[in-house]
Amino acid sequence: MGFTKIWAMAGVLAAGLMLPPPASAQDTIKIGAIYPLSGNAASAGESAKAALEVALDIINNPHPELGNIPLAKTAGLPNLKGAKLDIVFADNQGSPAVGQSQALRLITQEKVAALTGAYQSGITQTASAIAEKYGIPFLSGESVAANLTERGFKWFFRTTPVASDIAKTYMAFLKDLKAGGQKVDSIAVVNENSDYGTSIAQVLDEAAKANGFNIDLHIPYSANTTDVQSQVLQLKDKKPDVVIFVSYTSDAILYMKAMKALDYKPAVLIGDDSGFSDAAFLKTVGSIAQGAINRSAWDIGKPGSVTYLINEMYKKKRGVDLDDTAGRAMQGFLTLADAINRAGSTEPAKIQAALRATDLKPDQLMMGYKGVKFDAKGNNELAAALLIQIQGDHYVAVWPKETAVAPLQLPYKGW
Amino acid sequence: MGLLRRFLWPAIWLLVLLAFPLVWDTPFQQRLGTLVLLYAIAASAWNIVGGYAGQVSVGHVVFFGCGAYGALATYTHLGLPPIAGLPLGVAASVAIAAVVGVPTLRLSGHYFSMATIAVAELVRLVVANTEFLGAAVGLSGPTVPRSVLDLSFTSSLPYYYLFLAVLAGTLALTWRMENSRMGYYLRAIKDSERAARSLGAAASRYKMRAYLLSAALTAVAGSMYAIMIGFIDPESGLGILISVKILIMAALGGTGTLFGPLVGAAILVPLEEISNNVFGGGGAGLTFVVYGAVIMLLARFQPGGLLELLGRLRARAAGRGARRAA
Repeated sequence: MGFTKIWAMAGVLAAGLMLPPPASAQDTIKIGAIYPLSGNAASAGESAKAALEVALDIINNPHPELGNIPLAKTAGLPNLKGAKLDIVFADNQGSPAVGQSQALRLITQEKVAALTGAYQSGITQTASAIAEKYGIPFLSGESVAANLTERGFKWFFRTTPVASDIAKTYMAFLKDLKAGGQKVDSIAVVNENSDYGTSIAQVLDEAAKANGFNIDLHIPYSANTTDVQSQVLQLKDKKPDVVIFVSYTSDAILYMKAMKALDYKPAVLIGDDSGFSDAAFLKTVGSIAQGAINRSAWDIGKPGSVTYLINEMYKKKRGVDLDDTAGRAMQGFLTLADAINRAGSTEPAKIQAALRATDLKPDQLMMGYKGVKFDAKGNNELAAALLIQIQGDHYVAVWPKETAVAPLQLPYKGW
Repeated sequence: MGLLRRFLWPAIWLLVLLAFPLVWDTPFQQRLGTLVLLYAIAASAWNIVGGYAGQVSVGHVVFFGCGAYGALATYTHLGLPPIAGLPLGVAASVAIAAVVGVPTLRLSGHYFSMATIAVAELVRLVVANTEFLGAAVGLSGPTVPRSVLDLSFTSSLPYYYLFLAVLAGTLALTWRMENSRMGYYLRAIKDSERAARSLGAAASRYKMRAYLLSAALTAVAGSMYAIMIGFIDPESGLGILISVKILIMAALGGTGTLFGPLVGAAILVPLEEISNNVFGGGGAGLTFVVYGAVIMLLARFQPGGLLELLGRLRARAAGRGARRAA
C-alpha cells in the first residue's frame, strides 16, 4: 500500500466529512448548545453539559415528583404533540472564532431551533452575533458580561443575574450586617485580574460608593499564580472587616491554604461564586474554610425538595453536587424549552415571541431567582442571587431570610 | 508548449480557488474556505521571516494583535469602519517590529525564538491591563452594519474573496522578494549566517527588512480576522497559541516555499474544524488528539513539509518514466 492510496483514502474521508449530514425526521426538536468542552474551562463546560442532559431527561420523560418545574410532569412538549427535545453539543475550545463557527454549523447544518451557551462572555458575544444575523433565538443561562445585552439584539436573551444584580445583592447583605451590629467599615476586594474578576470588582466599587460603603483595599492578582502569601500578608496587615474574593478554583484554594498557614481570619469572608462554587473547592479546603460565605443562586435544599431531587439526578451523572454555574446554564435551558412549548412551533419568530412573553414564578424555577421575565434588552429583570455559607461539609442557604435554611454564623471560623 | 505548461497549472489552481465557495456552497463550507485563506495569509506572512530568513519567531501574534486591535479600537473609539484601522495596526506593528528587531535579531537560533515569546507575553499582559484596549474584557466590532464599509456580512462569501485578494497580494510580494537579490541573501543567511556575512551580505539589514515586511503583513491578517469575527480579547488576539498555530501551518506545508503556508492552512484548518464538528460535542478533547497526532506524524516522517514530499514523489515518478523510456 503506497502513499498515494493513503492520501486517496484521506481525501475520500475529508470529502465525506464536508457533506452536510442528512436531514433527520422532524419528531425531535434540536437545540444547539455551545460550551467549552476542551481547553482551560473544560471542567465548567462538562458540568454544564451534564446539567443540560439532566434538563433533557426532565423534559423528555415524565417526572411528576418535580412539582411545578415546567415540562417535568409530561413526556416531551405537550403543545408540539409530545415532540422530544434533542441537544446538539458543540465545543467552543475557548476560542471566540471557533464558537462562531460552531454557531454557524448548528444553525445551518443541524438546523437547530435555538441556541444556548456559551459560558465565556467573549464567545457568547461572537456566537450570538451569528444567531442574530440568521434570526435564531439565543438564550444564555450563564454569561454575565454587561455589554452582551447592550448591543440592541432582538434574538438574545439571558436568565442569569448580571454584575449589577450581584452588586445589589452584596450591598443589601452588607446593610443587613450593619443593621445587625456587625462592623463593616472597611472592605477589601481581592480579585483575579482577567475579564471576570476585573468587571465584578469594578461594579462592586461603584455600588459601594453609591451605598456609602468603603472599599479601601484592592488586591488584583493573576489566577494562574502559585503563591498568594504576599496578598494574604497584605490583608493581615490592613485588617479589613470584610474580605470579598473574586477568584477561580485553584487560586481560591490557594488563598484558603495560605490563610491557614499564616493564621489569618477576617471577620466576614465572602467568595464570589465561581471558584468557591466549584465542587473541588469544598472537597479540598472546605474543612479549613468554615463559615465562608458564597454568592450563588443555587441551593440544594432540604432532602425531598425539588432542588434536592434535581441535585440527585445530576450527582448520578457527574459524581458531585450541582454547582451554581451549571445550575444557571440548566435554568436557561429549561426556560428556553418552556418558551418553545408555549410557542407551539419551531418557527424562530414564534419562539422569540414566546421568550418575550416568559413569566416564570419562583416555584417554577430550580434557581433562587425571583422569577424569569425579560426586559426590552433581553435581561432577566427578576434575576437575583442568594448567599450560602459553608457549615460542616456543605453549603447551606443563609441569606436572605426568606430562603435561608440555617442561621448565618459569624465571625468566620476557618478551621 | 512551454508557455502552456508554465501557465496551465497556476490558471487551474486559481480557478479552483475562485470557484471553491460556489461549489462547496453551504455556509459552513464557505466559512471553512474563508478561514483557510485567513490563516494562509498569516502563515505566508510569518513565512517571510520564519521560512525564508530562517528566524523562527514564536511571537508573531503580537503583530496579529496589532492589526486586530487597530481595527476594533478604531471602530470603538472613533466610530469609523474597522477597516479604517488597518493602516494604524500595520504602523503599530512595524514600529514594534523595528524596536524589538534591533536587539532580538542579533540573537541566534533558539534565543531569538525565546525573546519573541517574551515580547508577545509582555504585550498580552500590558493590553490585558489597558482600559483603552478593552483590558481583559476585549473589544467588539459592529454586529449590525451601518454601511457596507463596516464589512459585516452574514455570508462568508465577501470575506472569502477579500481574503483571496489579500492572499494573492501577499504571495505576489513574497514571490518578488524570493526572486530578488533579497531572496538570495535571505537564503544564504538561513544556510549559514556567518558564511553569508563573510561573503559581504548585509545580514542584519536584510533580516530586519524581512522582519518588518512580515510584521506588516501579519498585522493585515490580524485586521482581517477582527473584521470577520468581530471580537478581540487578549486571549484570542495575543495568545501564544495563535503564533504556534501559524507556525505549524507554515511548517506543515513547507517553510521557505511560496505555497507551503497555503497548503498547510488548507490541511490544518479543515482538519481542526471538521474534527471539532465530529468529535467536539463528545467533549473528550479528541479534536486535539487528532490534531496533535497529525503534527507528530509529520514531524517524524516529513519534517520538510508536504510540498517537499510532493516534490520527491514527482521526482520519483519522473525517474520511473525516464527508466521506462530507456
